[in-house]
Amino acid sequence: MNNAETSSDLNRREFLKGGSFATLMTLLGGVEILSRSPARAADLDTLVPFQINCAVIGVGTWGREVLATLARLKTAQVTAVCDTYPASVKRGTNAAPNAKGVDDYRKILEDKEVKAVIVATPTHQHKEIVLAALKAGKHVYCEAPLANSIDDARAIARAAKESRKQVFQAGLQNRSDPQRRFLIDFIRAGAYGKPIKARVQWHKKQSWRLSSPNPDREQEINWRLNKAISLGLVGELGIHQIDAASWFLNQQPVSVAGFGSIINWKDGREVADSVQAVFEYPGGAALTFESTLANSFDSDYEVYYGTDAAIMVRGPKAWMFKEVDSPLLGWEVYARKDTFYKETGIALIANATKLTSITEKATDEATYTSTPLYFALESFLSNVNTVATAVEDFSGTFDTSDKAALDKFLADLKLTPAAGYAEGYAATVMAIKANEAVVKGEKTAIGKELLEVG
Amino acid sequence: MKTKQTLIASAVILLLGVPLRAAENWVRYVSQPGASLVKVEGTSTLHDWSVETKLLGGFIELDPAFNLEKPVPGKVNARVAVLIPVRQLKSDKTAMDTVMYESMKEKDNRRIDYRLTEMTLKEAPKAADAPFLFDTTGELVVAGVTNKIQMAVTMVRVGADKLKFNGSIPVKMTSFGIQPPTKFGVFSTGDDVKLTFEWLTARKEETAK
Repeated sequence: MNNAETSSDLNRREFLKGGSFATLMTLLGGVEILSRSPARAADLDTLVPFQINCAVIGVGTWGREVLATLARLKTAQVTAVCDTYPASVKRGTNAAPNAKGVDDYRKILEDKEVKAVIVATPTHQHKEIVLAALKAGKHVYCEAPLANSIDDARAIARAAKESRKQVFQAGLQNRSDPQRRFLIDFIRAGAYGKPIKARVQWHKKQSWRLSSPNPDREQEINWRLNKAISLGLVGELGIHQIDAASWFLNQQPVSVAGFGSIINWKDGREVADSVQAVFEYPGGAALTFESTLANSFDSDYEVYYGTDAAIMVRGPKAWMFKEVDSPLLGWEVYARKDTFYKETGIALIANATKLTSITEKATDEATYTSTPLYFALESFLSNVNTVATAVEDFSGTFDTSDKAALDKFLADLKLTPAAGYAEGYAATVMAIKANEAVVKGEKTAIGKELLEVG
Repeated sequence: MKTKQTLIASAVILLLGVPLRAAENWVRYVSQPGASLVKVEGTSTLHDWSVETKLLGGFIELDPAFNLEKPVPGKVNARVAVLIPVRQLKSDKTAMDTVMYESMKEKDNRRIDYRLTEMTLKEAPKAADAPFLFDTTGELVVAGVTNKIQMAVTMVRVGADKLKFNGSIPVKMTSFGIQPPTKFGVFSTGDDVKLTFEWLTARKEETAK
């Protein structure tokens, strides 16, 4: 007698898991089952749909992170790197061996082969480079914050808005992260109830100070510690979490109160090593940002509190912690659970149902293992290709003097999700106002009109 | 001998001259951006698929003898050239589009071209706003392969100076040397696809040269 075939071995949970998967796949026409077949993966891996010649301007620590990420993207062809510091240029060309190294960004803008630039210089240098790059017809990826003043950020955003034949992407990489895009649909569907508050933190025990044998160079590379040009922890780092939270809350803040102090790193710096900022949203919801360079406990994460549940986001993973009186959604009964001290979190994993079908082990892993930066740059290159080919093909098909028709055609293009100039500008204003509140230790209003590019 | 050469030269001049002279008075309508749509629909062993684009360029030139107010059934002197940039044909799945472009050898054949060779008005419209019904023959160039196609096309007048054409035709990928993509693992796309178009043209004031 074969016990394996008795009904007792087919437990209800496994049956339902299999059943729901089959149903989902049927609804999807079965495509996704095959999307994981080795044959397709191999074929798509060998196909290079397009390649964009791009250059990275500013190859400090973050610029080299950008280069390392571009090296993994088959759609990127890095042809030039630029930095005013020779050693950085050398490190840049080491990271991108086929790229030429230059010390002046204007040389890159003159290079007709370069179609797109990624601007990863210190924040206060963005404006001059971005405006010149857009004027030179380049597609631009500008790191966030866009600028350290509202005037500069607005100048960048307006120039980007006018440059309709070019892609402008703000470096708010979370906006392109598929895990977050999965979560936003989930949150907007009301899964956690009415938004109450959000709390985000970025903790790391590090000085934030870079060293150099050259005193002038040391001052230059430590621009983040210079009160006159740095937006501090809340602006330079917090902008990503503040933008993500406002995006999730689907609101923009009306005010921000801040507090900051230098507690641990008393090395002559002028920028606080520990800050708190509280954003107030219409309707009463609040966002608290906490950051310190003096303690690393719990690293960085975001928690969104709603009337029915709290949702915690940590890198590529997220969990939901339900209230006892919250409505039963159904699927969570079978979802993976993780224990956090006295709480049980229901794992929110994009495409979790599909992963379950492959192996049980797969559910222990996040679906998207690449960094948000990878997805953001992937989106940028894809959108550059879409827009550039659309402009070229439109010009080859119709009379280009009809600007309204071209604008309409470009507006209808399906682009890969990414932060544009409007999102970049609004987030930059939030960061600037938050830093202002932290520096002054007071509450400051954020006018609605201030958040609009105009 | 000299007479023969003169005759040949005259014949060549005459042959070249006829279309040029004819074109001088022909009425030219050019493709209008944003108002046209080309859709290609196909099947696979798993689900149906489609790609589309609004980029449909080209023109139609009509012999002024063809009176739009009082059309007479029969052969219509007309010239049509249509182009579609292949890479603008898109579905919702970028990866699938990439496979399609590869199959269509897009890098070497950037456009789908169509040229009309013959157009016959089947019957005059029964009302002022009723469509004109044409039988057409033309050459369709896809992936560098030219095939003769016959297609029923309807035309309606839009306002005083625009013409809108609609048509649809089944074609086989293999007839254009395209192997139906099977790069998705265990499923494959069907050889038969349906090409549907809606094409808006507007009268261009300048006389065609």
